[in-house]
Amino acid sequence: MFAKLKKKIAEEAATAPRTGVRMPRSYSKESITSAGADSGDDFASDGSSSRDDLSSQILRRNDQIRKLEAKLSDYAEQLRLMQKTKDKLEIALEKHQDSSMRKLQDQNETHQASRARMAEDMALALEKKDQEWKERMSILEQEKTSLALRLDEMLEQSLSLFQKRDDLDELEGFQQQELAKVKHMLLRKEEQLGQRERELQQKEAELHTTKKDLAEAQGKLWNLGVEHKEQCRINTELEIEREELLEVREEAEKKITELEERGQNLQKVIEQVSGDFQKSRRVAAGVEKSLRSLQTEHNALKLQQHKAAVTDEDKERVLLDLQEKVSSLERRLRGNLSEDELLRELLNEKSALEQKLEDTRAGLLEARTNHADTVSSLEAQISRLNNSVTELQTLLRHKDDSSKNYKQRTDAQIAGLEQQVLESSERLKSTEQQITDQQAHLDKLQVEWSVERDRLQQQVSAEQLQGQERAGQLQEQITALQRDRHTEHTSAQTRISELEEERASLLRGRDEADMALRRRTEKLEQARSELSSRQTVSVEIAMALEDTRRQKEELQLQVGEITASLQSASHRLALVTEQLKQREEELGTLRNELQSARNTRSQIQEEVERLRLMAQERQEEKDSQLVSLRQELLTQTEQLDSCQSRVSELEVEVETLTLQLQAPEVCETDQNGSVTVDDLDHMQKANRDLEQQLSDKNKTIKQLQQRLAELKRTLQKELKLKPETESEGKERVQDGRGERQERPDRIFPEPTPPPGPAPGPNTTVTNTSDLNDSREINFEYLKHVVLKFMSSREAEAFQLIKAVSVLLNFSREEEDMLKQTLEYKMSWFGSKPSPKGIVRPSVSGAPTHWS
Amino acid sequence: VGGWFSSLFSGLFGTREMRILILGLDGAGKTTILYRLQVGEVVTTIPTIGFNVETVTYKNLKFQVWDLGGQTSIRPYWRCYYSNTDAVIYVVDSSDRDRMGISKSELVAMLEEEELKKAILVVFANKQDMEQAMTPAEVANSLGLPALKDRKWQIFKTSATKGTGLDEYNLHCSFFRHTSLHSHWVNE
Repeated sequence: MFAKLKKKIAEEAATAPRTGVRMPRSYSKESITSAGADSGDDFASDGSSSRDDLSSQILRRNDQIRKLEAKLSDYAEQLRLMQKTKDKLEIALEKHQDSSMRKLQDQNETHQASRARMAEDMALALEKKDQEWKERMSILEQEKTSLALRLDEMLEQSLSLFQKRDDLDELEGFQQQELAKVKHMLLRKEEQLGQRERELQQKEAELHTTKKDLAEAQGKLWNLGVEHKEQCRINTELEIEREELLEVREEAEKKITELEERGQNLQKVIEQVSGDFQKSRRVAAGVEKSLRSLQTEHNALKLQQHKAAVTDEDKERVLLDLQEKVSSLERRLRGNLSEDELLRELLNEKSALEQKLEDTRAGLLEARTNHADTVSSLEAQISRLNNSVTELQTLLRHKDDSSKNYKQRTDAQIAGLEQQVLESSERLKSTEQQITDQQAHLDKLQVEWSVERDRLQQQVSAEQLQGQERAGQLQEQITALQRDRHTEHTSAQTRISELEEERASLLRGRDEADMALRRRTEKLEQARSELSSRQTVSVEIAMALEDTRRQKEELQLQVGEITASLQSASHRLALVTEQLKQREEELGTLRNELQSARNTRSQIQEEVERLRLMAQERQEEKDSQLVSLRQELLTQTEQLDSCQSRVSELEVEVETLTLQLQAPEVCETDQNGSVTVDDLDHMQKANRDLEQQLSDKNKTIKQLQQRLAELKRTLQKELKLKPETESEGKERVQDGRGERQERPDRIFPEPTPPPGPAPGPNTTVTNTSDLNDSREINFEYLKHVVLKFMSSREAEAFQLIKAVSVLLNFSREEEDMLKQTLEYKMSWFGSKPSPKGIVRPSVSGAPTHWS
Repeated sequence: VGGWFSSLFSGLFGTREMRILILGLDGAGKTTILYRLQVGEVVTTIPTIGFNVETVTYKNLKFQVWDLGGQTSIRPYWRCYYSNTDAVIYVVDSSDRDRMGISKSELVAMLEEEELKKAILVVFANKQDMEQAMTPAEVANSLGLPALKDRKWQIFKTSATKGTGLDEYNLHCSFFRHTSLHSHWVNE
């Protein structure tokens, strides 16, 4: 892009002198300004300008002329410098080329020779080793095959033995398995039995619990009965109480009747006593009469007693005379003792007389007793009568007293009795009240009792009912329980029966199992017998086995020996294989080495080719550079031409100006004229300079070739490019260049480049003779930046404006214009910025970059 | 007016990307770091003549990372890119003791620029996998970082080829530890 632009400009510059005088400026204006339509032609305005304008124009022209002169001198210096550099470059290029070519060829040859030698050596060594190893390998393989055959045989024998042992083991295993099975079955049956028994126990426990429940229920029932009995007892007690109360009432009634009876009796007594009193009065009156009769009688009796007492005295005098005559007769009987018969007659006469006396006397006594009796009886009668009278009197008095007493007593008694009656009545009343109270109480009690009784009866009935209900319930429960029990019992029984059945079945099963066991045992025994037989067989087998074992041992020994030998052989084999491996590894490494060597060779070849290509490329580049340099030379000559043409143009201009001004500027024209005269010399000089530059460039080419050779050497050494060396090289180059050329960063700080030919980076690049890298880099940098600027997004491009403007040495206005355009592109609004500020590049001082 | 509108619309529709420059001497590993950050792989690079610009997205934030070529001849062009820079990643080849002085002078020259007064400085002491590599402290001392005033700086030890010190967390730490930047970022 840049190159093209440059080329184009160069072409234009070359063609400029032919096209005309004004064209280049106008063209440059057009190239700088995107819309150069409004750029005014200076000369067009000149024609119609006034004198003032003209004078100012002349002043401007003068300035321009001065500038142009300065430029011209600069150009001349530049030309000289360029020619010098060109020469230098050409010389350097040639040197560089030669040396690099030579070195390249030498290296190539030596490398090829060494490579061929190495390859041959390697191939020979490899072949030898291959043959040796092949021989050893064939021997070892033969040994290996023989050993493998023996090993196979041994393995077969051992395999058959192992199979026999396996069969025996299998049989024993089967028997043990069967035994274990039987045992397992028995155990399971027993477990089942235990389970059933446990279940039975559980059922029994349940039965027990139900029975216990039943007993509890019965206890409850009994309690209820006891309660009922108690209730009954309470009832009877109450009834007894009631009866007692009734008895009390009856007794009270009886007492009342008794008291009434007593009252009546007392009244009767009172009536009797009054009757007795009247009778006694009558008796007293009769007794008084009798008393008077008795007193008269008593008087009569007293007279008779007097007569009995006088006759008693007469009798007592006759008794006394007779007691005297008995006393005179006793004296005569005492005096007449001898006369015993006369006495006896006298004693008889006397006894007879005494008897007669006694008789008389008895008679007298009798009479007298009669009399006494009568008297006594009379007297007794009298006394009796008196007694009786006294008695009667006393009695009367007594009776009176007694009557009085009695009366009093009776009165008192009556009063007491009345009181008593009153009391008794009161008592009766009270008692009656009491009785009534009691009756009421009794009634109440009775009522209460009845109520209570009713209640109790109700209660009792209710309780009875409840009890009955309960009893019923209980009965029901009992019945239910009984039923349950029954059912349970039945179920239990059924279960029991089932269990029994089960048990029986289990027993049967057990029996069967036993049977089976027995059978099994029989079988076992059979098996044992078989086993024993087998054992015998196995013993035989074992014997055989023993034999075989012995054989085997022998064989094993043999095998051991063989294995030992085998092991040793295998060891040897392993060793050999290891060696082989090692050898193979070595081979591999060697092959790898070979490969690597080949690779390296190929790489080297490639590198060589690449280097050759590079060299060719470089050469081509150099050639092209040369060509370009030549072209540049041509262009420079052309530039020179153009410069000369411009000079001539300027001269013409000056001439025209001088003509126009008609001012005394002859000296200038003279000078210009001298310049035009010296043109040819100048040209020749420039040509010479350019040739020198060419030679310089050739020199640089040679130098580059030398560097190329160095690089190749380093490449061969490390096969990788160390960035340090390159950078160092570059640094060196740049340092070297820095002395000769102005560093581009020194130029940047000026924000507004001064009008006129400011030495931009490009110009310096073109002017410097030793510019290979830096120019290349700068050019590449510019290319890269411009490419990025064009290809990147607006946001990034915006950031690149400065870089681009610095690289291309844009003016502030141009930069601003670029910025505005980009902003316009980035934003959605706004108008396209008018390209102001770049309207007059000659005034604003837009530099001609590549002139 | 157009500029105002455009700024308004860029504020409305698109958040400004954070602009980060990766600078350093040639061969320090700037391009490798850039592509390590962007694609997470080690790419084979050639010396950068010019620059590389990539957009690294992290947590919905876009970083416009500019990797500028560090060769001596094009180092002067760095200053063309300084405007509107939020952060500078200065990459130093820790194993290159000889050129540490050049690196320091370039860094000092860079930091004196008016356009980078507000930029954060993050130094990557790269090539830590090398045997003769200087430690980050040594690198910081040889770069004269402790003497810096009015400048927030951080140093990280990195290895672009091994990928150490270049995970997103580190990057995040580098650029969001500074609250001023964060607020600046949020305000933007």
